[in-house]
Amino acid sequence: MRDKTHLEFIERWADFIKNKSQSEWRPKFNEFIDAQFDIAKRFRDNMEKTEQGRENLKNVIEWRKKR
Amino acid sequence: MSFTFWFQGLAVGSFTSDFNYNLMRVVRFFIVIESFYVMNFDRKIGDKNILDKFTEDFCSVIDRHCKYIIVSGFVAIASGRSRSTEDIDMIIEKISKEKFIELHHDLDKAGFECMQSSDPEDVFSYLEHRDNIRYTRKENKMFPPEMDIHFAKDELDEWQLKERQKIKFTGLDVWFSSIDFNIAFKEELLGTDKDIEDAIHLRKMFNGEFSEEKINKIKSMIKYLRRVR
Repeated sequence: MRDKTHLEFIERWADFIKNKSQSEWRPKFNEFIDAQFDIAKRFRDNMEKTEQGRENLKNVIEWRKKR
Repeated sequence: MSFTFWFQGLAVGSFTSDFNYNLMRVVRFFIVIESFYVMNFDRKIGDKNILDKFTEDFCSVIDRHCKYIIVSGFVAIASGRSRSTEDIDMIIEKISKEKFIELHHDLDKAGFECMQSSDPEDVFSYLEHRDNIRYTRKENKMFPPEMDIHFAKDELDEWQLKERQKIKFTGLDVWFSSIDFNIAFKEELLGTDKDIEDAIHLRKMFNGEFSEEKINKIKSMIKYLRRVR
C-alpha cells in the first residue's frame, strides 16, 4: 500500500521539524494530532445517542480492556 | 491578577462582613468559569477543526470532477478509533489527462499544492504510472494534513468507488469506501497489527451493519487480483 512518495513525505516532514524552531512546528503538529482525536471522539459521542450505538461502544470498550 | 484582586477583596470583605457584596463576586466568578466551559464544549461539538476543513474542502473540489473515496486509516479514525495517521488516503476514478489538468487547476485555486510538481502534466504522469500523488494546503508549506491520492487500480477499486458511502455519525460530508471493503482490505491485504485492530474496531462499532458474505467475496477478489496470499 505504501509507495515511495510516502517515504519522501516522511523525510520532508522530518526536515521541516529539524529546520524550524519548536515554537514554529509544535503548535501545528499538536493541532493536527488533536484534530484526529477530536474526530474520533465526535463519532463516539454521536454513537452514544442511540441505543444500538451505546451497545456497540460497550463492546468496543470491553475489547480494548481485554487487549 | 484579577483573581488575586478578587481573592484579596473577598478576604477584606469577610472581615468587614460585607456578605452580599462578596456573594455577588462569588456568583460572578462561577458564571465566568461556567461560560469558559460552555465555550470549550461548543468548540468541540460545533466547530470544524483543521482536519475536518482540510478533508471537506479538498473533497468538495474533487467531487466536481470525478468519483472518489476516502480509505484506510482515516476511515477508522472517523469511525471513533483513537489513533493517529500521517495522511489521508484517497482513491479517485481514472480520468483523462485533460480532465485531470482541470482538476489540478481547481485544487490550486482552492489553495492546495502538489508535493511532486506544480505542473499538472508531470503530476498526471505519476498517476499514470500507478504512483501516488500528494497535496497539502499551500499555507502549510508541505506540512500535514496531506491527501495521498491514486487512481483506481483494478475492478476491485472500481467496485469500491461504486459502493461508496457517507458514514453516519462522522460529522463529515465526504465519501468513504464501505465498512465491508475496509474490513476486508485490512484483514486480507494490509494485515499489520494496526490494521487488524482497525478491522476489529470496525466490526464492533458497526455490528449488524455489514455483510460477512460480502466481506468474503471481497477477500476472494483481493486474493485473485492482488495475488498476495
